[in-house]
Parts: sequence; C-alpha cells; structure tokens
Amino acid sequence: MEKKSLVKKITGSREALLAIILLILFAVVTVISPSFLTPRSLMDMLKNNAVTMVMALGMLCVMLIGGIDISIMSTLALSGMSIGMLLKYEKISSPLLAFLIAIAIGVACGFLVGLVISRADVPPIIATMGFMYVFRAMGYLVSNGGEWAGAAALGTFKDFATTKLLGINCVIWVIIVCYVFFFWFMKWTRTGRKIYAVGSNPSAAEVSGINVKNIKLLVYMIMGLLAGLGGALQVSIYASAMPDMQQGGEMDVIAACVIGGVSMSGGRGSVIGALFGSLILATIAKALPLVGIDALAQNTIKGVLILVVVVVNVVLQRVADRNALKGREM
Amino acid sequence: MAGKSGRSINNVPESSLKRAFLSWEGILLVLFVVINIFCACYSEYYNLNSLLRQMPVYLAEVFLMLPMAYILVLGEIDISVGSIVCLSATMSCIVCNTGAPFIVVIITALVVGTLCGAVNGFILTKFTELPPMIVTLATQIIFRGIAEIILGSGGSISASNTDGFRMLAGKVGSVPYILFLVLILAVIFAVILGKSTFGRRVYAIGTNRLTAYYSGIHVQKIRMIIYTIMGTVSGLCALFIVSSSYGANTTTGNGFEMDAIAMAVFGGISSTGGKGNLAGGVISAFIIVCLRVGLGQKNVHAQVILLILGVLLICAVALPNVVKQIQRTMKTRK
Repeated sequence: MEKKSLVKKITGSREALLAIILLILFAVVTVISPSFLTPRSLMDMLKNNAVTMVMALGMLCVMLIGGIDISIMSTLALSGMSIGMLLKYEKISSPLLAFLIAIAIGVACGFLVGLVISRADVPPIIATMGFMYVFRAMGYLVSNGGEWAGAAALGTFKDFATTKLLGINCVIWVIIVCYVFFFWFMKWTRTGRKIYAVGSNPSAAEVSGINVKNIKLLVYMIMGLLAGLGGALQVSIYASAMPDMQQGGEMDVIAACVIGGVSMSGGRGSVIGALFGSLILATIAKALPLVGIDALAQNTIKGVLILVVVVVNVVLQRVADRNALKGREM
Repeated sequence: MAGKSGRSINNVPESSLKRAFLSWEGILLVLFVVINIFCACYSEYYNLNSLLRQMPVYLAEVFLMLPMAYILVLGEIDISVGSIVCLSATMSCIVCNTGAPFIVVIITALVVGTLCGAVNGFILTKFTELPPMIVTLATQIIFRGIAEIILGSGGSISASNTDGFRMLAGKVGSVPYILFLVLILAVIFAVILGKSTFGRRVYAIGTNRLTAYYSGIHVQKIRMIIYTIMGTVSGLCALFIVSSSYGANTTTGNGFEMDAIAMAVFGGISSTGGKGNLAGGVISAFIIVCLRVGLGQKNVHAQVILLILGVLLICAVALPNVVKQIQRTMKTRK
C-alpha cells in the first residue's frame, strides 16, 4: 500500500517532478559551464524569455478551459507595432502611457477573439487561426507597410528594459508580479476557481450557475491583456518594433505550458507548472550553446523534448491507472 | 444541419449531400463567380491566360487541403505539414544535386514525406491519449529542425540541375500539369471520402470514435493510413514548390498547414469532425487561389490578402452559428 501511494505522490505532483528536472538541468549545465549559474547570466536568461514566460500564464488560462489561442503573437505584433509607431512619430512619449495603450489594444483583440469563440461557437483553433492572419496583417498596416521603429525612435521607452529596481531588472519585476498575481488569482479567487470548474466539466459548471460563456470570454481577454503586455515588453527588451516580430512564437508558449503539465483537454494545470515549464524551456535554449551544441540543432531538441514530455506523461498516467485498478481487485 | 439528426451516421450521406448543395456549396459557387468577376474588374491583367500562368505557385497548397480534409473529418488536426514540405523539399534538392536521375528525386520527396507522416501516425496511434495538436506541434518543430540542421548555417539550397523540375512545371497547351494533377487527386479523394466504405468509416470515427470502435472499425489503422497519406501528399506538394522556386530554405512551407486548414474549413468541413465534404473544400480552395492571383496582379501585399482570408474564414464559421442562434431565439419567443 505504501509503495502505491509513493508512486501516486510522484505522478500526482507534477510540480515536484518538474522542479527536480529543472534542478538536474541546472546542475548539469553548471558543471559543464560554470558561467551559467551567475546572477547576471540567470537575469539575462529571464529577461530574454520574459515575453514567453508572461504569455504562458494567459495560455494556461486558455488551455484550462480546453481552448487554444494561436493568435497571440499576432496580437503582440499589433500592440507592439502600434506603440512603436506612436513613439516614433512622437504622438506619445511617456513609457507608462505606451504600456497602457499596448495592454488596451491587447485586451480589445482578446475581447474580439473571445466574442467569436464564446458567442458564435467557433472552434478556438479555427477562430484564433483566422485572427492570427487578421491581427498580423493589421500590425503590418499600422507599420505603414513594413516600417521599423528602431532604437533611436523609441526614446526613453527602451530604457525600461535596462533600468534596475532594487538590483533587479524591471522586466524581471514584471514577470514576478504577473506570476505572484496569477498564483493568487487562480488559487484563491472565485473567478480563478470558476476557470478550473469550466475546464474540468463545462456542463456541470453551467448547471451549478457559472456563466460559461462569460468565463470563456474573460479567459481570452486575459490572454489578450498579457499578449499586449508582451508586445510592450518585446519592443522594450529588443529596442525595436517590426511587424513580423515573434512570428511562430505561439508554439513556444504552448510548448512551455505543455511541458509544465497543462492538459490540452482542459481542467488540469497550474501556475507553478507553467512557471517550471517555461523555465525548463528557457534553460535549455540558454544551455545548448554553452554546452557546445550547435544553435542549429536547438529546434530539433526542443521538439523532441516536448514529445518526450507528453509521451512520458501518458506512460506515467497509464502506470498510475493500472495501479489503481490493481488496488481495486484486491 | 439541424440539431441532433446531423450527428448520426445514417444521415450523413444523403441529407448532407443534398442539403449542402442547396446551401454551403451553392453559396461557395456563387462566391467563386463573384470573386472572379471582382478580380476581372479590379485587375486589367486578370484573364484565363494569366490565371493559368500564375496559378501553379498557389495550387501546390491545394494538394495539402485534400488529406487535411480527411484529418479534419476525423475531428483531428495536423499542423506539421508545412514542416514536412520543408524537409522533403530540402531532401529532394540534395538528392537532385548529387546528379541522380529525376525519378529518384521524386521518389525521395515522396518517401521522406511518407516517413514523416508515418511518424505522426505512429505516435498518435501508439499513444491514443495524446491530442494530435500537441504531437504535430512537436513534430512540426522537429521536422523543420532537421531541415535546418541539413541546410546548415546558410539556411538555403538551390537545385543545380533544374531540368526535371522544369519538366514538372510544364504545360499541355496553356494548362499546367499541376492543375490536372490537382483535379485528378481532388476527384479521387472526394470519391473515396464520399462514396467508399473507407470514407464512411472516416465519418463514423469523426462523429463518434467510441461507437465506431465498438461497431468494428479499425480506428487506429484508419488514422495511421490517413496521417501517412498526409505525409505523402506533403512530399508531392514539396516537389511542386521546388519546381517553382528551384530551391528550398528554412522557411519553405511556412504556414502551409494553416492555409490548408483554412481552405478546408472555409469549404464547410467542420474541425470538430464528422461534417463536410470535399466538393466544398475544392471550391473554396479555388476561390482562394483566384483571389490570390487577382490581388497579386495589382501588387496587393500578401499580408492584406491574408487579412481578407482571415476575415472570410472567421465569418464562414461564425455566420451559420449566429444565424442558427437567432433562429432559435425567434422560435422560443413565438
């Protein structure tokens, strides 16, 4: 009996498993290349992956209700490009205002996506695929047909990514605030629990008085909000805005969530899981060049990793199910 | 398709065909004519000759739509096809550059595609719990990643001996080979999906997988076959892509999976499975091809064309649902 509970504990607590994997990964990389485990290098890693990390939270919410959003990087491009052009032509100058505008555009985009999915019953993959084209094209139109907003045009806005607050980069503060807020939001607020309820059983949630449609709408708006924030961060970190930024990046965000144990069919997943998932992905991307593996092989390794993670997950689940069945037979 | 009757297998062959020709395919045909008239008015260069000359580039993607329709009818999705196109285009260029006869190049492209498709199918049938979206997402990254490794730091390769590819891009009179091939394949795929036992089984699986399994359909075998064929057709598509650009690079085939899915869904094939037929898919594919040729002639940017496609796609799926909802509320009010 005790053995069974041990297996259950390990397979049950995915977060613990992920933490162990992350620690092993850190240890291996540090042994091979000691320069990895310095505060500076870790901060760089976090900063470079800030966009993916922040947006993984939104994707977590979307995937919790069994949806998916592949339009996010187009939303990011649209919001980032908009503030890039506003700053370039000196319509606005305050970084705070730029952030607010980017977030507002993101929320508007998310609202549109959520409306089509929740009210017109369009399957999420189809709706977001359509909006992926639409928002990307709008970002392109905003840029006057492919103009860039370079570092010189961005003025004080790009300084946001280089200033430090209490010794930690502002971008990293944004990540911390987002994760702390969502940890609280998903675990201890009514709305957060409603998202889980809708994800695990939509009809039961409906019967128990949850407005499923509104929750769906809300979830895509959260995703849009974070995509807008991601747009502002992207422009600030890389000190440039172009209409094709982060094309294909949505797959990284989805991959981070999947590695972090968020189920595609909804209802399963946690903020901690998303955090570890995106950290593991970030560490591998950072570690491969340090370990001496060609950057060309990076994508292949990333793909294999995702595949291995999901397959191992299935195998573990099968083992757990079989053990549970054995217990019943006795 | 009204209410629950549309979900039952018995109703799919007769009623969906009859009704669909009255509704969605009919609308699409009208739209096809409208788009052609619009293009002819918009661009003074738009006529049959220029259409036939400029079509082949866009037609290669129509190949992908055919097996993608099967996958969508199953209620699944394959987003790795663009990467399979990239990998088989790369491999066929490499084999071509070794001086091998062209038939070997063709076989290479098809075999590479088939193998990639079989990998997808193998994983999905061995681990049936896995959602196809995630598996093909991973293989999408892997296949393109392998192509990136093969292509090396340059990131592109060009075919040194283009004779064979030039032959592939040839014409009968003014009609390119590829148009014939697309039409022949479309008829074959449509007949198999609509009329054969295999096609009926695909619908059955898409409608209710468990019921299909209990009524003796080899669900996993059929899924394996379809994913493998998807790979083979991607290899075919890669050949025609190379024959129009005489080379391959790391971005070859980028976004093709989305275009193929968009064509199929716009043609009325539901991504939730069990609904739609290939007639709609083929018409919508040609609508999109004509639109691209027409707007392309007036130098409309590719992004704007994508914007139009995106709006069309969302409306095509959303409008019937909205209309249905309005009708339902009207009824309850009465």
